[in-house]
Amino acid sequence: MSPDELQAAIATTNSILAETYYFLTIPLMMIIHAGFLAYEMGATRVKNVLASGIKNILAFAFTIITFYLFGWWVYWAFPTGFDLSAGPAGISGLEYANSIALAWGESAQYMGPNIADKASGVFFAAFALFAATTASIMSGSLIERIQTVGFCILAIVLGSFAWVVAAAWGWHADGWLVTDWGVHDFGAAGLVHAVAGFFALGVLINLGPRVGKFNSDGSANDIQGHNIPSTMLGLFLILVGFFGFLMACIIVPGEAWSWSATQSATIYGTPITLSALGFNIILAISGGIIGAWITTRDPFWMMSGALAGIIATASGLDIYYPSLVILISISAGIILKPCADFLEKRGIDDAVGAVTVHGTIGLYGVILLGVFASGYPALSGDAGVPVISFVGQLVGAVVFFLLGFVPGYAVSFVLAKMNMLRVPDDVQIKGLDLVKVPAPAYPEHFLSEQKSD
Amino acid sequence: APGFYTALSAVLIVVALFIGNKKEQSHYK
Repeated sequence: MSPDELQAAIATTNSILAETYYFLTIPLMMIIHAGFLAYEMGATRVKNVLASGIKNILAFAFTIITFYLFGWWVYWAFPTGFDLSAGPAGISGLEYANSIALAWGESAQYMGPNIADKASGVFFAAFALFAATTASIMSGSLIERIQTVGFCILAIVLGSFAWVVAAAWGWHADGWLVTDWGVHDFGAAGLVHAVAGFFALGVLINLGPRVGKFNSDGSANDIQGHNIPSTMLGLFLILVGFFGFLMACIIVPGEAWSWSATQSATIYGTPITLSALGFNIILAISGGIIGAWITTRDPFWMMSGALAGIIATASGLDIYYPSLVILISISAGIILKPCADFLEKRGIDDAVGAVTVHGTIGLYGVILLGVFASGYPALSGDAGVPVISFVGQLVGAVVFFLLGFVPGYAVSFVLAKMNMLRVPDDVQIKGLDLVKVPAPAYPEHFLSEQKSD
Repeated sequence: APGFYTALSAVLIVVALFIGNKKEQSHYK
């Protein structure tokens, strides 16, 4: 074998490894959605199970297709801000996005089968699954009283626009939050979780609580889901899927588009290893469970604590020392239920605590990175690169909050005016499944109830 | 060409939402 042939063989091996690496994150992230489906359907009452499931799978479908139509373009067009100008790395702005991310014209070659491009499809799919995750995060909080089509429109706005702008600003090498403020959010605590969580809060304010959630004196009733084991299993499946999510946040080495020839990198080009994630993910899950167990004995909140553990440490999973991960994740588990109670006391009916688990804990994680990792480089490069700072992370947290809450509130406000947001109260009382599907989730249970009537 | 399929897909998505909303509102009457 000549040196040239050997070089070609090495390049082919690396190329196949890189393509396969990202391809495998896709089914792993699909497990997140299997988890959300089980989680959400378990968290509803028997009369609303199928309607919740339908809403969940439609959110996935509409988000994926609209992300192909325009969401992927948003990621490449928006990094420098709303003026869509090109950034210093030369891989952003209107002209660049038009050349690689539209499924028509010359750029169509990068949006479909192309034997000369082994990266665009797997990167697109990984990002599309991130997008679907944001819609699923919102979905759980709104169960049992939101209209299906109104919800699908909200899922499109969140999954194919709001979070994508956050990613363009806070993840992309040309993102102004990265280049100007040194924002670092490796595992998307802010730009996925917090954006989705606070988008949901904006919707919840206009949507209102489920019938029967609050008494006339303002006190809250606990509306239990019909299948807590399904909810717990669903949450565990979400945790499994997050290994794929976090894998997809790594840029593998050795390709033309890689940050390095030899070193795996974060999306910012800073070095990372899968071993770092090996230490930190499972410790974060465990710390979150124990933290929640300290303040509640409810298995639902303990499993939510596991998710909170990952989210609270996600921004710094690439650089945190494992014992620091244990401390942060335990603290996230401890504050989880009190934060959820704080919202409930203000009349917010967040059915699964998504605003707290993803929104509040997401921002908690973004800000804590500024406490524990200030001074680290925020972007690949030599002298003059932005560094992580407390102020920078604080600015990032505020921007992520606004990118979620403002569109969530505004779009749901318009939908409410159009009578496309809230299911009428009499339908909620009767049950969404029999009115909208129309079929019961558990026919034998339904028949036995009818006989007893 | 791909652009034709893409445009048709976008139209179908909007039509699906429109039909879905019409059916949904009929359930509440």
